[in-house]
Amino acid sequence: MVAMGEVLPYRPPRAREDTTAYVGMIVFLASWAMMFAAMFFAYAFVRARSAAWPPSDLPELPIALPALNTLVLFASSASQQYGMIAIRRGSSRRLGWALLCTVGLGTLFLALQLTLWMRLYHSGLRPETGGPYGSVFYGLTWFHALHVAVGLVAIAVLCAKAFGGRFSAAKYLPVRLWTLYWHFVGVIWALMFASIFLI
Amino acid sequence: MRTLERVDRWVCLAVRGGLLLLPAISRAAVEPESGLGLPRDVSKNGHLVDWLMNITNVFNIILFIIMCVWMGYACLRYNRHHEAEYDHGSARRSVIIALALSAFIFAVVDGTLFVNAISDLDSEVWNYEKVARDPRTVRLEINAHQWSWDTRYAGTDKKFNNEDDVLTWNDIKVPVNTPIYVQLTSTDVIHSFYLPNFRTKMDAVPGQVNRMWFEAKQTGDFDIGCAQHCGTHHYKMKAQLTVLSPEDYRAWLAEASANAKRAYDPEDKVAHWGWEWKEFY
Amino acid sequence: MEAASHAAGAHGEPTSFIRRYLFSTDHKVIAKQFLWAGLVFLAVGGTLAMMIRWQWAFPGRPVPVLGALLHRSGGVITPATYQSIFTMHGLIMIFFAITPVMIGCFGNFTIPLMIGAQDMAFPKLNMLSFWTFVISLVLITASFFVQLGTAAAGWTTYPPLSTTVGTPGAGQTLVVLAIFVTGAATIMGAINYVTTVIRLRAPGMTYMRMPLTVWGLWLTAILNVLFVPVLGAAALLLTLDRAFGTQFFIAGAAGVKGGGDPILFQHLFWIFGHPEVYILILPAWGFISDIIPFFARKPAYWYRGQVLAMCAVTVLSAVVYGHHMFLTGMNPLLGKGFMTLTLIISVPAEILFLNWLHTLWKGSNRFSSPMLFALGTVFVFGLGGLTGLYLGTIATDLYLHDTMWVVGHFHLTMAAAAFLGSFAAIYFWFPKMFGRTMNEPLAKAHFWISVVFINLVFCGQLVAGFSGQQRRLYDPYQYTFLQHLLPLNRWTSYFAFALAAGQLLFVYNFLRSVFAGAKAEQNPWEIGTLEWTMAPSPPPHGNYWPIPTVLRGPHEFANPEVKKALGRDWIGQAEELPSTAASPARTPAASGK
Repeated sequence: MVAMGEVLPYRPPRAREDTTAYVGMIVFLASWAMMFAAMFFAYAFVRARSAAWPPSDLPELPIALPALNTLVLFASSASQQYGMIAIRRGSSRRLGWALLCTVGLGTLFLALQLTLWMRLYHSGLRPETGGPYGSVFYGLTWFHALHVAVGLVAIAVLCAKAFGGRFSAAKYLPVRLWTLYWHFVGVIWALMFASIFLI
Repeated sequence: MRTLERVDRWVCLAVRGGLLLLPAISRAAVEPESGLGLPRDVSKNGHLVDWLMNITNVFNIILFIIMCVWMGYACLRYNRHHEAEYDHGSARRSVIIALALSAFIFAVVDGTLFVNAISDLDSEVWNYEKVARDPRTVRLEINAHQWSWDTRYAGTDKKFNNEDDVLTWNDIKVPVNTPIYVQLTSTDVIHSFYLPNFRTKMDAVPGQVNRMWFEAKQTGDFDIGCAQHCGTHHYKMKAQLTVLSPEDYRAWLAEASANAKRAYDPEDKVAHWGWEWKEFY
Repeated sequence: MEAASHAAGAHGEPTSFIRRYLFSTDHKVIAKQFLWAGLVFLAVGGTLAMMIRWQWAFPGRPVPVLGALLHRSGGVITPATYQSIFTMHGLIMIFFAITPVMIGCFGNFTIPLMIGAQDMAFPKLNMLSFWTFVISLVLITASFFVQLGTAAAGWTTYPPLSTTVGTPGAGQTLVVLAIFVTGAATIMGAINYVTTVIRLRAPGMTYMRMPLTVWGLWLTAILNVLFVPVLGAAALLLTLDRAFGTQFFIAGAAGVKGGGDPILFQHLFWIFGHPEVYILILPAWGFISDIIPFFARKPAYWYRGQVLAMCAVTVLSAVVYGHHMFLTGMNPLLGKGFMTLTLIISVPAEILFLNWLHTLWKGSNRFSSPMLFALGTVFVFGLGGLTGLYLGTIATDLYLHDTMWVVGHFHLTMAAAAFLGSFAAIYFWFPKMFGRTMNEPLAKAHFWISVVFINLVFCGQLVAGFSGQQRRLYDPYQYTFLQHLLPLNRWTSYFAFALAAGQLLFVYNFLRSVFAGAKAEQNPWEIGTLEWTMAPSPPPHGNYWPIPTVLRGPHEFANPEVKKALGRDWIGQAEELPSTAASPARTPAASGK
């Protein structure tokens, strides 16, 4: 029983903390999953309603460039996972290199997305004149790109910390969490690629 | 008092009769309602809705009284001087009673409402096949916009969006005892076509065509309201429904159609907002 | 009291004013921050409601006192201003009053304390959630000062009215952004609540021993995590339409290449919106499911059933949303499906209701202010729930949709029940939160005025709706069929003014008690949950040490064994029950049941 004025010790043990953080990350990603689900729902809805998709006078979306981008993003997930394996084995340096790869590939992804947007903008597909077709394309891909950018910033910070030797086999929670995030972003892209560009 | 009332009634009838005989557009007044409760029901199917309202009222009054009596008695009788019973309510018997009571209320109350509502919808309210097949049916297209109601009649050729279409503004005339099949849309924001005396309404949504139907049992003038917030003058978006005898309606429609042909302007694209009657499947 | 419980700098204990009261990571402080913010905006939202009632009672007449704010029109509410008033009334009450008070304040305060945790799982995220919420308050406030006025498309924000086609100007955009930001704050909080309950329960605190308050708040948090993002998506797409010219929701004459679909917004909005109403009521259900047993001195009737009922409502909440859209022209089969599910979701609520009534039966009911407010909540929720039957049934909904009946229904079930439930929680936890007592006679007076006038006001709305009066009308008396309702609306407005005036009793009582109330005991209500039995009033930073071990559920009242062993009708959740063999009070004559 605690009396008034008693000073209380505070930190719960490390293992509980790690799992707790992981659970929190899962809940966080569940939230984002629902938001993306709502956006896919919106896409399905406007597409089902429209007579032609794409509308006859608007450019069709390319497949090659987004396909390349999908491979780029998958590769970045692979390097991220390699980093996880490396730190579990205790190598903070290898983790650093793996994260650097992820950042590089992720940046490439964003650059290719930018190229895609610019190309389509110049061939006549614009957000304000593209109707629901243009709206869906730009709205969904911009939003996904935003998530990629946030992830890149976080992983870049982790990369710097890894090179500084801040992680060890017993202490790499942020890497675990952001790896989960990065894989999530990759999965969302795969779904977008399939539903927006392929079908 | 009574003589005055009778005189009053005859005068009203005479005036109304005189007005209705005029083929020209006349704006006789909507009679105000009185008393708190449902407004006058002048529709063929309104009684179905009213019956459901009343049965729900009965169920609710019974349940409400039970709730009040239970709470009142429990609070008064089992106050601080009564020793509480140690019961977690998790005994099998208690659980079964709780579930059975809920199931019973659900079956009786919700069941009644469900069965009757489905039957009402299938047989009347949403039974558009019947309305479409009926040779007497009058078809209307309504374009709702901020902040008034445009109505289009097909005219004598029964085709929409051509030169003999009659267009009215905030003024819908229909014959009595005839199904009126309405298709509606909007050009700007969502509105809702509301007929309080017919117990029905339907949203007018830009980009899609919705449908509803009604049938008047008596002649007279009735309010049409907007029932979806649509901007600054939503509160003023009212129109008048005039129910005429079939002869008066035919006479009015023939004259209005003739006038429309004379006034038809093929250059006026905005006026040709009509659409080919939409077939729903 | 304050000085003793804070040793300088030890174990992360904050010392400066800024770290203790402004940027604190202590869940109890953050709870109070949410409470103050919520109560202020409750007053703002209530004031807006009074303006609506004034307009219906005295259409076109200058508003007294508040008319000074409407200087451009000489104190009169214009049709344009009126739209903003009812829009902001709804948005403020839902997102900036009830949510911070019930979920931000009581979620934060009660969850760690009642499950035996020292704080939330992520204290820094908790602090971030409050300050993100403050950003949304700034955006909302800013929207009032914009050239074309603040949002004006109703709280439901249906496009195309809410796009630049219907409501141009920065005000609406700011408000949509504010909703997005407050949604983010809510999700941050919800992540904390969900994870804390899963991970930080004290030893022995199984799910089935948690107080029902925690169940209510936990299920609320799960709904927040899953469905506020859907609102976020809707708000995001609407912002894209407003700011970037996209066409998700614009159709009709302004549509480009066929346009988007306004009904899409309604789907997204109500997939959020219907769970949202459960988000707003589950905490209240939790509070009263605990408060009634506490003051009936009797265990909660069929605790497991109450948990199952709350879980069932949570699960079903997303699949009934179409009953808000019966009149949009949806496929009749879909409509009938939604009607069926809507009728079914009333069953768990019925079970909860029956359980509350059963708990009262044969109890030893004490009518302190928390109990009075809890009973008031039961009453208005029962009444409100019954009025929902007409709306779930499509045939009657055709007439009642978008009339004042709907407004009366949701005010009774959501506003009145959440309002009274929040006051029950405030009066109940005040001693633990502030270490002081509120004035009980004033509290009781506040209750009676509130409950009487709440019922009169919202029943007045029901009657107006039954007579056919539509929602959101600046001047209902434009319609001939509504002209006779002026006396009804006027009287309802008088009752509303009386209700507002009655809240001053609370304001005075609350402020006086926070700063100068009598000191509170540790367990004035004599109940067994951890925050009352194992921590002083108020609890120190870190709540408990050592973490208590829980031995039983939270409603162990009137147990004859406890009476025999301890001489009282309650026992703490972590309290050891001395074995009856060792109890000196046991005599052969007293043995047996």
